[in-house]
Amino acid sequence: MEQFLRLILAPLGEVFGRFREFAPNLLAAMTIILAGILLARLVKWTVLRFLKVVKFDSWSDRMGLTAVMRKGDLWARPSDALGSFVFWVLTIMFLMAGLSALNVPAIETLVAHFFLYLPRAFSTLLILVFGYILAGFIGRAVLIAAVNSGYHYAKLLAEAVRVLLTVLILAMALEQLQVAPSIVVAAFSITFGGIVIALAISFGVGGIEAARRMIEKEQEKKEPKDIEHL
Amino acid sequence: MTDFYQSGIITTLHQLGRPSLERLEGELLEHARTRPISLVLPALYSEFEGPAMPRIIEELTKVKYLHQIVLVLGRASDKEFQKARQFMAPIPYPVKIIHNEGKRVREIYETIKRNGLDPGEDGKGRSAWLAYGYVLAEGHSYAIVLHDCDIVTYSRQMLGRLCYPVVNPNLDYVFCKGFYSRVAGKMHGRVTRLLVTPLVRSLQFLRGEHRFLKFLDSFRYPLAGEFCMTTDMARVNRIPWDWGLEVGSLAEVYRNYSPRRVCQVDIAETYEHKHQALSAEDPEKGLMKMTVDICKSIFRTLASEGAVFSDGLFKSLAVTYLRQAEDTIMKYEADAAINGLEFDRHEEAKAVEAFTRAIGMAAQVFMENPMASPLIPNWNRVTSAIPGVLDMLRKAVDEDNR
Repeated sequence: MEQFLRLILAPLGEVFGRFREFAPNLLAAMTIILAGILLARLVKWTVLRFLKVVKFDSWSDRMGLTAVMRKGDLWARPSDALGSFVFWVLTIMFLMAGLSALNVPAIETLVAHFFLYLPRAFSTLLILVFGYILAGFIGRAVLIAAVNSGYHYAKLLAEAVRVLLTVLILAMALEQLQVAPSIVVAAFSITFGGIVIALAISFGVGGIEAARRMIEKEQEKKEPKDIEHL
Repeated sequence: MTDFYQSGIITTLHQLGRPSLERLEGELLEHARTRPISLVLPALYSEFEGPAMPRIIEELTKVKYLHQIVLVLGRASDKEFQKARQFMAPIPYPVKIIHNEGKRVREIYETIKRNGLDPGEDGKGRSAWLAYGYVLAEGHSYAIVLHDCDIVTYSRQMLGRLCYPVVNPNLDYVFCKGFYSRVAGKMHGRVTRLLVTPLVRSLQFLRGEHRFLKFLDSFRYPLAGEFCMTTDMARVNRIPWDWGLEVGSLAEVYRNYSPRRVCQVDIAETYEHKHQALSAEDPEKGLMKMTVDICKSIFRTLASEGAVFSDGLFKSLAVTYLRQAEDTIMKYEADAAINGLEFDRHEEAKAVEAFTRAIGMAAQVFMENPMASPLIPNWNRVTSAIPGVLDMLRKAVDEDNR
């Protein structure tokens, strides 16, 4: 009977012993996560106050960032969205740090990967935001220049430039995230190269006559005239 | 049938004989191919439950020349918005309903406010303004026609006659306002009959001839809520959000366009819609509120045209107006008598007394703060502050209607 009880209690004791070893890690993980959530809330509040002071929402409306959010059917204030983004990034970071405190090898590898990936995600975000602003700016500049030159398809041209730049920016972002980089680069090269070749061919075919006239005009200028007019 | 007399400095298009609706609609169908028309309907959900809206919807299902309907739904929950969509479902061409209380549209208002622009308070003016924004964002319409949703005697002839002068390229008016007689056993339209016309004529008497007063006096029913205009006008005109909507809109038309391109059209033999109580004791309600806002709008427009107002002028105005209005009552009494209409002279005199008080109140408010303006910025101004706002509005409406 005593042996039977020992057979039952020994594994239980072992489990308890392992739990006793693991409990401080668990407590540390929970503390990190809870403290992280509180800190994330505090940072969110601070970020929101700061964004309000610098009138970020208004800036975002003027720069077209709000319009991008609306296109994606996001109807929160830009500052609220950014505040929530900061909150969740911090929360996830602290969650990862908390999980790391558990000292479980598999989770530690995952956490290491996550933290290595963070800089890439951050630079992707920067590429997307500044790229969008730049594409909008260049598109608008092309529109103004084309309209002032009396170009008939000014809006179409500006939109085409904006779309091409957006494609370029998206390709850069995907490449930065290392999402199937070889496919992304190949797809981008084919698409972008195809568009450029198509434009070159259409311009070349459509502009043969114009080019001929221009060359002939240049040649006429160079050749000395037989008759000099008074 | 009316006479064919042309009064004032704008063109008056009368209803002479019984013009064929089929011919009118046939021509409109032809013109609308190159000049698409959007119908804007500012409506409250409660109007869907009244007698007017079912009739309006029934009539609109028969119209073939409209490019789209943009209905701005006010005071409605999400559930009521969905019900309104079901109500409008029989109409066989595009209908977009703007959910004024919806989260997306609310966010549009927030966006405009936080950029230092004031979209005003909830009401017909703001609803119409928002609908114009959607039509501009959509970018396919040449003309916008607007009428109320409480017209019990609605017929599609009203709509056709409103659109025709603007979309017919041979006439090429930029603004066309409807007029009609508000007679149903008795004469209605007290604010027009007993306030606006006598007030405008009193101001002309005191100040001498003024082109804006002449312009305003040219309209047979300046407070009519039915009109048609080009989308270009919707882009540049500012709209008052208060009860001075009709007069303020006419002031903007006067400011931005030549009267030669403005007309008024007889749209109905009879016209019946909901009537407002006078609320003589409460200037914050009913016709009194409307009266104060209208007077303020007229004073403000005249001041912006260089007119100088003083306490003395306002005192003289009150007396002159009272005399004019009393004479007007006598004219209408005679008009009612010959037509066998009911006419309560005492009620009319009480209304004039109330309107005189309202003119005094408006004068006081104007003198205290002549710069206060209830005008919503025009869409050109809004898009210069927030370049993507029209796209946002379009997205909001399209998502709500998905």
